[in-house]
Amino acid sequence: MSNKKPSIAIVSLTCCEGCQVAILDLGERLLELTEKIKIGDFALIEDRAEPENYDVVFVEGTPITSQNVARVKDLRARTKLLVTIGACACLGGIAELKNYQNKEQRLRYVYKNFEGIANPDIRPVRYYVKVDLEIPGCPINKEEFLWAAKELIAGVIPKIPQRPVCYECQLKRNECLLQKGEPCLGPMILGGCGAPCPSSAYPCDGCRGPLKGAAINNFNNKLKEVYGFSQQEIDLIMQRFGMLDDMYPSPPVIPKNKIIKK
Amino acid sequence: MKIKIDHIAKIEGHAGFVADIVDGNVVKARLNLYEGARLLEGILQGRSHNEVSQITSRICGVCPVVHNLTSLKALEAALGIFPSEQTILLRRLMMMGQILNSHALHLFFFSLSDFFGIKNDLALIKKYPGRAADALVLRDFGNKTIEIIGGRSIHPLTPIVGGFTKAPDKEKLKEIEKASVKALASAVSLAKFFSSLKYPLFNRECDFVALSLPDEYAIYDGLVKRQKETEPVGEFMPQIQEFQVKENPAAKRSEFKGKPFMVGALARLNLNAKYLNPKAKSLFRETDLILPIGNPFYNILAQAIEMVDCVEETQLFLEKARDIDFESVQSHPFEPKAGKGFGAIEAPRGTLFYYYEVGEDGLIKNVNIITPTAQNLARLEEDMISYLPQLTNGGKALCKEECEDLIKMLIRAYDPCLTCATH
Repeated sequence: MSNKKPSIAIVSLTCCEGCQVAILDLGERLLELTEKIKIGDFALIEDRAEPENYDVVFVEGTPITSQNVARVKDLRARTKLLVTIGACACLGGIAELKNYQNKEQRLRYVYKNFEGIANPDIRPVRYYVKVDLEIPGCPINKEEFLWAAKELIAGVIPKIPQRPVCYECQLKRNECLLQKGEPCLGPMILGGCGAPCPSSAYPCDGCRGPLKGAAINNFNNKLKEVYGFSQQEIDLIMQRFGMLDDMYPSPPVIPKNKIIKK
Repeated sequence: MKIKIDHIAKIEGHAGFVADIVDGNVVKARLNLYEGARLLEGILQGRSHNEVSQITSRICGVCPVVHNLTSLKALEAALGIFPSEQTILLRRLMMMGQILNSHALHLFFFSLSDFFGIKNDLALIKKYPGRAADALVLRDFGNKTIEIIGGRSIHPLTPIVGGFTKAPDKEKLKEIEKASVKALASAVSLAKFFSSLKYPLFNRECDFVALSLPDEYAIYDGLVKRQKETEPVGEFMPQIQEFQVKENPAAKRSEFKGKPFMVGALARLNLNAKYLNPKAKSLFRETDLILPIGNPFYNILAQAIEMVDCVEETQLFLEKARDIDFESVQSHPFEPKAGKGFGAIEAPRGTLFYYYEVGEDGLIKNVNIITPTAQNLARLEEDMISYLPQLTNGGKALCKEECEDLIKMLIRAYDPCLTCATH
């Protein structure tokens, strides 16, 4: 990148905006970072017109309305790098739950008048535009964001290490929830979050999505056979942040001889 | 004359504003929300009682704690589960953190710049480094309180139906107790600063609604008070009439007995000011304001006074929470049973209502969530109808930019959360 201060934006599509809040909670470290960059759009803290081009655009949220889709396409055309942050942008997030349900019925359940209310299937941002880096999590780990943002501002696309949540969980010497019989997805989920969930005795529910090449079918079967969870229980967890469709383009095939009858 | 503001920054979510003024009369004033509909109530159907409170916390990244806890309260009411006194104490502490972190964000980062015509918070921080530091101290204090009890400040992890997955570390609770001294000083300094600001003049009659208890400034529990009437949550919530407007159907509006009403810090102050803690009460008395306060811009000052109250309350709660261990807050196994339940908590922006119907299988059958902003929207739009003529033709008309800035300021004074409103 040139000697000019790099110009960045932090933009929300439809979501809870918790990832922006996490960034804001970097506090003084965010202020230090802003000395080195020009912030073009960060709607939570400022109110002014946007510049023409960006070096890095961070996008949180899910494209739901046509304006959401147009916005992300327009930003892609005007930025060197586009980075998605959070489960909504990277996986679909909780909004994607309706993909696994009858979404028309869900719309009618919430709204008497549903004319003019967008109700598309929910897709991650990468379905609409090219994405240079995904920083997952619900919400993002602000420490990981700061690390990645510094690299990106220097013009480098960082790589998030392909390590499971268990790696960080064990470093924290937590009691293993899976061994206690809780449905913790830690072994197959991408770490980097710092394992806040298992550290709070809350089983990992996969907000960062699966590790590359994770043996998902094996793990799924283990949850059923060894730990006795039903497929419905497992599916509810894997749907929660929208990763079920990423993992299983079609439903998993379980060899018949492996099903243990209760 | 048409007023159109495409984008209002520095609020939670995306919105614009339109108004039509004909011969000095406002014929239309509408806040247009651009959030997509996530169909929250819909997607919870058929899902388990043990996960829905985690999903609903994702309604809002600014106030996830209150969504999480109100959902749990409604579920417990439906399932007939009574959490322990200690569990409730920890939840109330989390709520203090929630109100502090949200108010700190709104007061300093969203609303303060409106008083000085500054459009960028980084410039504001340079102008008022001391006040910025106070706001950050309070935000941080609120976040820490939530994190130590909830495991994480955004989308907390430990609260579950009937209790917690884990008890907070006693040493860490002591740390918040220590930090509360500085937090109280910051809250007092911010409240004094917000008392010294000049608020735009605008008075209107309005129904205020908030939870209310006979002997405390109600946040976690209470009856619903509207003007002088009080009703239990389960009787009040079904009477809230939710409706859609054709031009902006995804965000519901609400009325009560055909009238819009206001919830939030100003409503709480108007209805419950006598129960403020001593420091907050004396700061409130030092302002020359007389109850009930009709001017909605004072919602900002009401939040500043509440921050003092919340730190004082946190100190009282922490004293009682010193001996809490896991045994006293753990959730005991239960068999799900069919039932219906209501829950309400005072969120930073006003009363948040939840309703659940749970089936025998423990799966959710019916849900309704009415957020503070969904309640305030109709009131805000009605305020605009009486406020705009004051800007456009009362005495000397303001120029376009000044007029737009005051409109944005009134919208921000309500502290609207549009992701909550649409959900």
